[in-house]
Amino acid sequence: MFDDTYIIVPAYNEGTVIRTTVEELQQSFSNIVVVNDGSSDNTLQILRELGVPVITHLINIGQGAALQTGITHALRMGAAAIVSFDADGQHRVSDVIGMLAELDKHHCDVVLGSRFLGSAEGISLIRRLLLKAAVIFSNITTRIKLTDAHNGLRVMNRRAAACLDITQFGMAHATEIIQQFHDAGMTIREYPVTVRYTDYSRAKGQQSLNAINVLLDLLIGRFFK
Amino acid sequence: MSIKLLLAIPLILFFMYVLALPKYRLLGKLFILVFVAILLLFALNPDLSTVIANHFGVGRGADFLFYISHLVLFFIAFRFYLSNRNLEARLNRLVQQLALQDVEQRDGSG
Repeated sequence: MFDDTYIIVPAYNEGTVIRTTVEELQQSFSNIVVVNDGSSDNTLQILRELGVPVITHLINIGQGAALQTGITHALRMGAAAIVSFDADGQHRVSDVIGMLAELDKHHCDVVLGSRFLGSAEGISLIRRLLLKAAVIFSNITTRIKLTDAHNGLRVMNRRAAACLDITQFGMAHATEIIQQFHDAGMTIREYPVTVRYTDYSRAKGQQSLNAINVLLDLLIGRFFK
Repeated sequence: MSIKLLLAIPLILFFMYVLALPKYRLLGKLFILVFVAILLLFALNPDLSTVIANHFGVGRGADFLFYISHLVLFFIAFRFYLSNRNLEARLNRLVQQLALQDVEQRDGSG
């Protein structure tokens, strides 16, 4: 099943959760590519044990970069659909399957997961507010109306993946990706997903203050190419 | 030793050092010569800066130079920031290329 679908999992020091995440994916998908973004823990060792294909960045260069590496690889392998999936276990595999069906059913180019259409389990109030602010900022700058701007779960067809050229290597890539899809005239749909906030993903995820950095990255990236 | 000498000596030493560097072309060296000459002028003739400062509505020459140096330093810092960003982007591309090449070689041999 899903022979021409590639799941890209960017991973940086995810040793404690990567096994569970990959094993869950392996039950439904055969093409999983983990991009090990210069991890210094046992992430690589675990991935080798699982026998999953790994692309390794020699040094840590950021999630956006890891995604782009994975997408480039998947395109070279002839992928028809590409999925981005966070390594920290916050996404559900059943949502991916639902999103792939949505892509097929509506003949659109991109399906983005939205936790605000679906549910965000265990999310803190601060994070909810920040994410909402990110949505507003993203909607203004990209001129696309979305309900969730920084969700790591995305499904795209080959055409959409090929138009991506992520230059925001840090966390600002989420907005950049949406912008590039929009600029290339891709049709985008949102799909309600469940995001599980565990203690791990909370500790591992972005610090709330980092939102300011993301904002600066985007502004500087826009004015100083 | 007077402050004039204290300022002038490092400036002259700096200029001689730049002259000896093969990195700078003639135009670059000329630019630095002019820059050092202006600074020397101010160092040896402090009243000059006051005259210019008064033109810009600043009372003291030293204050005027202080404000200007802030602007220049800010500009230099920003230039460094941009070049650093650029360098980082190129480094990242390199890391990505290496990673992809590595996979292709592995796939080819496996």
